[in-house]
Amino acid sequence: MGEKRRILAILAGAAVVAGIAVTAAGGAQRATPGLTATSIKIGGTFPLTGVASLYRTIPAAEKAYFDYVNDHGGVNGRKIDFDVLDDSYDPSKTVPLAQQLVEKDKVFAVVGSLGTAPGLATWGYLNRHKVPQVLLATGDSYWGFSKKRYPWTIGWQPDYPGEAKLYGRYIRTKFPNAKIGVLYQSDAYGKNYYAGLRVGLGSKRSNIVDAETYDATNPTVTQQILSLKGKGADVFVVFATPTPTITSLVTAAKVGWSPTATLINNVSANRLFLLAAAANGAKVDGVVSTSYLASSTTQASLPGMKLARQIIAQYAPPLQASFDRGDGNIVYGLGSAWTFVYALKHAGKNPTRASLMRSLHHLNAKDPFVYPGIRVRTSPRDNFPIEQEIFIRWSGGATGDWHPFGRLFGRVR
Amino acid sequence: MRFVPAVVAAVAVALLPFALSGYHQGLASSVAIYFVAILGLNVLTGYTGQISIGHGAFMAIGGYVTAIMSQAHHTNLIATLPLSLAITFVCGVLVGIPALRLSGVYLALATFALAVSVPQLPLKFSKFLGGSNGLQTDHTVSHLWLYGVSWACAAIVFVLAWLLLRGRIGRAFRAVRDSEVAAASSGVSLPIYKTFAFGVSAAFAGVAGSLFVLATNGFAQPNEFGVLLSLKILIGAAVAGFGSLWGVLAGAAFVALLPEISGSVPLIGAAHGQDVVFGLVLILVMLALPNGFAGLVATVERGVKGAIKWRAAAS
Amino acid sequence: MVELARRLGGAPKRKSRVSTGISLPVGLFLLAAAAFLVVGSAVSSIFAQQTVAGLAQGAIFGSLALALVLIYRATEVINFAQGEMAMATTYIAYQLTLWGLSYWLAFFLTLGLAFVLGVVVQLLVIRPVQHKSVLAVVIVTIGLFILIDGLVTWKWGADLKFMPAPFGNTVYHVGQVAFSRQDVGTLLVSILSVILLWLLFQFTKLGLAMRAAALRPAAASLVGVRVNWMLAIGWGLAAVLGAVAGLMTEPTVFLQPTMMQAILLYAFAAAVLGGLESPAGAVVGGLALGVFLNLVGQYVGFATAELRLPIAFAVLLVVLLLKPTGLFGRRQVRRV
Repeated sequence: MGEKRRILAILAGAAVVAGIAVTAAGGAQRATPGLTATSIKIGGTFPLTGVASLYRTIPAAEKAYFDYVNDHGGVNGRKIDFDVLDDSYDPSKTVPLAQQLVEKDKVFAVVGSLGTAPGLATWGYLNRHKVPQVLLATGDSYWGFSKKRYPWTIGWQPDYPGEAKLYGRYIRTKFPNAKIGVLYQSDAYGKNYYAGLRVGLGSKRSNIVDAETYDATNPTVTQQILSLKGKGADVFVVFATPTPTITSLVTAAKVGWSPTATLINNVSANRLFLLAAAANGAKVDGVVSTSYLASSTTQASLPGMKLARQIIAQYAPPLQASFDRGDGNIVYGLGSAWTFVYALKHAGKNPTRASLMRSLHHLNAKDPFVYPGIRVRTSPRDNFPIEQEIFIRWSGGATGDWHPFGRLFGRVR
Repeated sequence: MRFVPAVVAAVAVALLPFALSGYHQGLASSVAIYFVAILGLNVLTGYTGQISIGHGAFMAIGGYVTAIMSQAHHTNLIATLPLSLAITFVCGVLVGIPALRLSGVYLALATFALAVSVPQLPLKFSKFLGGSNGLQTDHTVSHLWLYGVSWACAAIVFVLAWLLLRGRIGRAFRAVRDSEVAAASSGVSLPIYKTFAFGVSAAFAGVAGSLFVLATNGFAQPNEFGVLLSLKILIGAAVAGFGSLWGVLAGAAFVALLPEISGSVPLIGAAHGQDVVFGLVLILVMLALPNGFAGLVATVERGVKGAIKWRAAAS
Repeated sequence: MVELARRLGGAPKRKSRVSTGISLPVGLFLLAAAAFLVVGSAVSSIFAQQTVAGLAQGAIFGSLALALVLIYRATEVINFAQGEMAMATTYIAYQLTLWGLSYWLAFFLTLGLAFVLGVVVQLLVIRPVQHKSVLAVVIVTIGLFILIDGLVTWKWGADLKFMPAPFGNTVYHVGQVAFSRQDVGTLLVSILSVILLWLLFQFTKLGLAMRAAALRPAAASLVGVRVNWMLAIGWGLAAVLGAVAGLMTEPTVFLQPTMMQAILLYAFAAAVLGGLESPAGAVVGGLALGVFLNLVGQYVGFATAELRLPIAFAVLLVVLLLKPTGLFGRRQVRRV
């Protein structure tokens, strides 16, 4: 037993030493990490594999844009080195990867990381280490509303509840007597959308005859669609990630349900997804959604889209086919990367992490990859870079496309 | 003399953090965390012959206990560890009672049911359990803190297991494993010992779950405790084999470090290469060591003893 | 195969029926459930539609559960890689259609390739550990799961892919009830493959030898059955059934590396529900689970999406506790 006690004593000693070291380790580093005279190292976590791997064209497009910038002299003479890590959309993987970025790879900033739960899993850590966690690729409102507690965090795209409010108002005015059936993902993403829809519907929220949920453990959404059909819904609202959105549009057709109107959230409104749905029998004409990005198909003649096409052709040829078919995620990646480069340029000749944040809190720019007329704008009191959206409607069936209609809606949140 | 290797290991563990970067301290803590969980499964399967593919569920419960206590009641993080130990012990006993009726593959699937069902509960009861956004402890810990606490826990849990298993209880456990009928006829109460083993095993997993949450920045979220975690514990236990402390350490190092190492094998790109290498290595290890490292250790020991005997006889 | 069947000429003529009988209460219960479904469908059109969709879904659970049962009978383990093997073979079919083969040609060619895959897996990585440690076999199947996932992602990428629709997108209407050709086709293909398998087991020498090898390996090898080959063929057939399940799943969830992961979990539940050793039980278990989940989702408000899987496993637990060998299980429990 003597030896055993000694082992315990040693281990307890180790724990005590550890505790002392914690209190001692308080001093911050002096030199700006990730920055040299000729380079700046940034990184992000993305679902390159797994359930959300549909989004992996986003970091690929961002990398292409940074390569383009590097070939044109970089930012203030510094070339951007973008480190893309795969977290498979699993927050328990995001945490060690974020630590790897900060402590092993020593990045200047974490840029564009994708997903709400992965973002929430790491924002405490990144803010504690005063590492910018910027242009998060998720539309939850946390990133915009939490500047006081999390000053090193900022998003990019319009927030989900705000977008859903638009759909609510649209249905209220266009279909005041509709029987609304909603299908939403049973997590914060879907629930925030659903809450926004109810706010937008206002007094007409009692028109919701059924709201069904699904999650990753449901093999299909057939039961949910049949329930909506059975309750007699004639306006179908889908707040889902891309694959279930495609599945639910296809399933609605398969069970012989044709609602008078269908609305889907813009995350899933990528042209590729609608084409796929149509090819598998879904009725896609008249489906309504919103957008804040320029379209690589219907707006191909815009200068921004011409530039996009050139960048993709030169720096990311594997993406070209899906770019030409209207993969909005590629445009998203370009636009987000553009905003980062813009902010970095305005962070001073020798940027620091703090000056990058200051620059991101004072944005006012016309991003060539976002929808014409929308400005990327923030202020110290407004932490949402994009707050305007335009309605889009699908026409042309299995070879069709999205077409914008109506005016730009502002202050979406 | 028997304790010399253990003392050397303890000294190494105590000195190691000063040679490691913060990032690698984090990796080293995850070895300790898996050690605790795998030791828990080892107690259950190695000593009473009951299998569980559901230890991720107990880890989830332990992890959520820590997150809830810290967030809602600002409990000291270390104080949450014995609490989750106690709560998961009770949960383990509650699971152990119906498990008495099951054995073999049916018990494995019943516990697997736990592994897939428990992580769904925070999603259903999101008001209290945070849903998909998870729960966050009121503060987070540094790598060194985590390293010290998780290895201290590993040591404590190991000593607890050792004290438990070397005496009367351990003999009863082994009797149950070797033959239930014989154990019962010699006066060992099967229900009591089997459920008790389940409780102890779950309690260890619960502590591992608490540490696991602290290792993910105090963030408890259902996806972290998915089926894969339960499978990882099982993989660790199989690589460890049963009946050897060194085996458990090897199993823990295997599941904690191999994904990291296989990610940097420049085979076919990091993202998919990691799975390919991990799967391949796992299969090869099982083919080479079907009884895990414990089996290897036993073979080597037999070989050494045989050689000594042979030489003694020859001289 | 022909050569193999000839070699098996010396298989016992005596019919060694080790069947898995249904007990009276279970039979009555199933009859009552079927009657309930018929009456409900006559009363409510939405009930009828949910039942039909549930049967189509359940047929997929059943096919995969049947594959699990075949492997359990051959190797006494649960094959965690069954879903991923099904997914990989579906990708093979996809590749064949990309190369210009028609859907059904690709379908049958894939079944052949799946058979080879199953046999090769058994010979290469299962047989070496089979008699050494049950746990090692389970872990090898988990390793296969991870390996196949990585290989498929490497070869085809993780983004959504689409195959031609095997049955077209037509929808039939019977009164108020709409049936898609897809659902009906899935149901028919799954049931057909089960019947073919049953015929193989019941009326061919190969089937007899396989049953003998699985249930009485020592006795079987005494009478000249090549037990090891029979077990490998069992794995091959399981892979074929998995391929059917994968190909029938593709039209509803499309092609992606994760497509079979949730379905495998339900197949586990279905297999246990049926008793793990009973092929008929697996199919009935799958169908029952498919219909049950749809009706619960329709009529029980509390049972939201998050609880669907826990409910499936709660059913499993209740069945196990009431009847530890499943609905169709035999009384004798084999030691594992």
